[in-house]
Amino acid sequence: MTTPNGIVYLLDDEPEMVKALTRLLRAKQFEVRGFTSCHEFLTTCQPQETACLVLDVAMPELDGLELQQRLTHRGILIPIIFLTGHGDIPMSVRAIKAGATDFLTKPVDAVALVKAVRTALQTAQARHEANVELTALVARLATLTPREREVMEQVIAGRLNKQIAAELGTGEQNIKLHRAHVMQKMAVESVADLVRAAERLGVSKPAIGNPAGQ
Amino acid sequence: MSWVTIIWSMIASACLTLAVIHFLVWCQRRTVWADLLFTLTSAAVAAFAGCELWMMRAQTPEQFAVALRWLQVPTWVIVVSLVGFVRLHLRAGRLWLAWTIFSLRTLALLLNFLVGQNLHYREVTALRHVQFLGEPVSLGVGVSNPLMLVGQLSLLLLVIFAVDAAITVWRRGDRQQAVVTGGSIVFFSLTGMAQAILVLWRIVDWPLTESFFFLGIVVAMAYEKSRETLRAAQLADDLREGTEQMNLAAEAAKLGHWSRDLVRNEMWASESWRGLFGFTKSEQINFDGYLARLHPEDREGVKQTLAKAVDGGGSYSMEYRMVFPDGQVNWIASRGRVEFNGSGKAVRLRGVSSDITGRKQAESELVQKRNELAHLSRVTSVSELSGSLAHELNQPLGIILSNAQAAQELLQQNPPVVGEVSEILGDIVAADRRAAEIIQRLRSLLKRGEMSQHSLSLNELIDEVLRLVNADLIGRGVTVIRDLAPDLPPVIGDRIQLQQLTLNLILNSADSMAGNAPGTRRLYITTARHNSTVLTTVRDEGVGLPPDVESLFQPFYTTKPQGLGLGLGICRTIITAHQGRLWAEPHLERGAVFHFELPVATSPDHP
Repeated sequence: MTTPNGIVYLLDDEPEMVKALTRLLRAKQFEVRGFTSCHEFLTTCQPQETACLVLDVAMPELDGLELQQRLTHRGILIPIIFLTGHGDIPMSVRAIKAGATDFLTKPVDAVALVKAVRTALQTAQARHEANVELTALVARLATLTPREREVMEQVIAGRLNKQIAAELGTGEQNIKLHRAHVMQKMAVESVADLVRAAERLGVSKPAIGNPAGQ
Repeated sequence: MSWVTIIWSMIASACLTLAVIHFLVWCQRRTVWADLLFTLTSAAVAAFAGCELWMMRAQTPEQFAVALRWLQVPTWVIVVSLVGFVRLHLRAGRLWLAWTIFSLRTLALLLNFLVGQNLHYREVTALRHVQFLGEPVSLGVGVSNPLMLVGQLSLLLLVIFAVDAAITVWRRGDRQQAVVTGGSIVFFSLTGMAQAILVLWRIVDWPLTESFFFLGIVVAMAYEKSRETLRAAQLADDLREGTEQMNLAAEAAKLGHWSRDLVRNEMWASESWRGLFGFTKSEQINFDGYLARLHPEDREGVKQTLAKAVDGGGSYSMEYRMVFPDGQVNWIASRGRVEFNGSGKAVRLRGVSSDITGRKQAESELVQKRNELAHLSRVTSVSELSGSLAHELNQPLGIILSNAQAAQELLQQNPPVVGEVSEILGDIVAADRRAAEIIQRLRSLLKRGEMSQHSLSLNELIDEVLRLVNADLIGRGVTVIRDLAPDLPPVIGDRIQLQQLTLNLILNSADSMAGNAPGTRRLYITTARHNSTVLTTVRDEGVGLPPDVESLFQPFYTTKPQGLGLGLGICRTIITAHQGRLWAEPHLERGAVFHFELPVATSPDHP
């Protein structure tokens, strides 16, 4: 089984615990960075990274919820695996509200931990990739001329070329040309792909007015 | 037989009888010198009567003169013993007067033997015979001795002495004694004196019959002595009554009394005392027999306590155990006092003992109940902590598991990575020890047992408790701020109970801050030396104290829905058993402050 790329952050106030978990995860070929204080962790962690966090719930300085808020504030959205001494219900609820992707009770078993870390890193990877794709789409959308954007909005609304030409007060040939440019610039093969890209970008469909000539 | 012989012989024998009786009485009570003096007076009156009879029967003037001369000897004895009797029996009369009378009478006695034929006549020249009680008796005729005035003066002084003594006794309130003894001495002395003058100066033709008057005095004195005997009998009755009442009271109070003669090493004990110690009514008891009944462990202590009292302590009070032959053990409380003689030597030991087995049982049951309650309260505290204790235990277990699994992983690799394994094993051992320590601490806290006393450091103790509640406090968002004084002297106490005390105070403080906003739940623990005590303070920023602070320490007082209300009451009990003090006060800004104070250990290695 291949190990997903990405950094595993460990945060526990107990240095012995950090040491033991670091050893275990390193032996499983993960890249691990251990911390015993929240502050240290917050200054090290970067927004662009593919990473996950293994966090002890009972930290004397901050609790999980507060840490999650601080991470969000810095634009860091990483999956968190909570470790808790005793899996009581209020604690679990708080952890999940804090954005937990997994919730393990101590003493944590290696198999469970590795599985959780792997899943978390895959999630992070996926988020990262999704993020990269969206960035590309935004860049592509920016290359469209205002007219091409208008045509795109009509296309994703499911209008025929003739109807678009009537709406925009131009010839059908012109619309065909604009439509080809849009497909090319947005790097999509089909109208269905274009619709999906527009949805991700949040491009709205135009209000449908009365077709001309009717 | 003539009347004169009969009457004078009867006077003499009556006086002698009294003399013998009182001599025997005096032999029994040699300290009562009045008895001896009365004996002397009576015997002297008998002798006096003999001399008078001799005078009356004298055939020649020489015989008469010799009899009159010897008459002065009983006279001297009578006067001197009367003075002594007044001083000793009536406890009255002026001492200088007594000595003057003694000197004058002695002078008269000397003159009687040295000058002339006797004190009254220089020379008896002839005898006259007169009729007395129907028969002839002899009277002396001769040259009077003016020195007889010395004798008369001593008698006059005796009268004055007796009057003065009688007045003193009268004023003291003992009027009957004043009248009977003092009055009779005065009356009969005066009449005797008058008769002597009348007879010897031949104003009347009458023989000397002074023994009548002296007999009067002796009878008065005998009456007085018999009153004393009656009084003694009355006192004996009162004493018996008093003893009865005391026995009744002692029986009701289950008190046994006893006394031990230290000189003769004899022991006496009341019936109830015998009952207490399982001796029969008639059984001979002695100190060794008593010691043999005591519990072997207490025997030496009892001996030492008694020895200390005898050596100068003067009194003692102790509690000890005794064992019946059938093995039953009873508790006895005993108090006593030592009686010393004039030279400060202990002569007698008196004491009372009572059975306090019931009280001791109640006491030990109370102690047991208190221990059980304290244990229950510890169990409750620990069960409240159980969640965080599980966390506390899971921490080292987690470290062990992760390390062991990391080692497994490293060894399974191809080629195996063995370099780090020995370090991992070291960490596993350390974590294992840590887990064992936690379990040990818990076990000792949950252990039930009696209070033990050791010298211990409060700083260490507080740190141990904080380690135990660490996870719980983190879970509740409580921050602990420690300010423990370095070089804190040790205190004497029971480790578990003091841990319980500290634990209760910390948990209470944490509870009181449950409603605080996160970040404002601070708990301050400080220790400091304060004169001869160690002062520990636990302060919180919680809801504070009720208006009546002392009610906190009452059993079953609680503000917590699930609380038993035993915590602070038990804390108070613990601190009292340690001769310490626990109190609470509101903090000026916010929350409550609990202080407890324990005396500094005073063992020689910790001055």
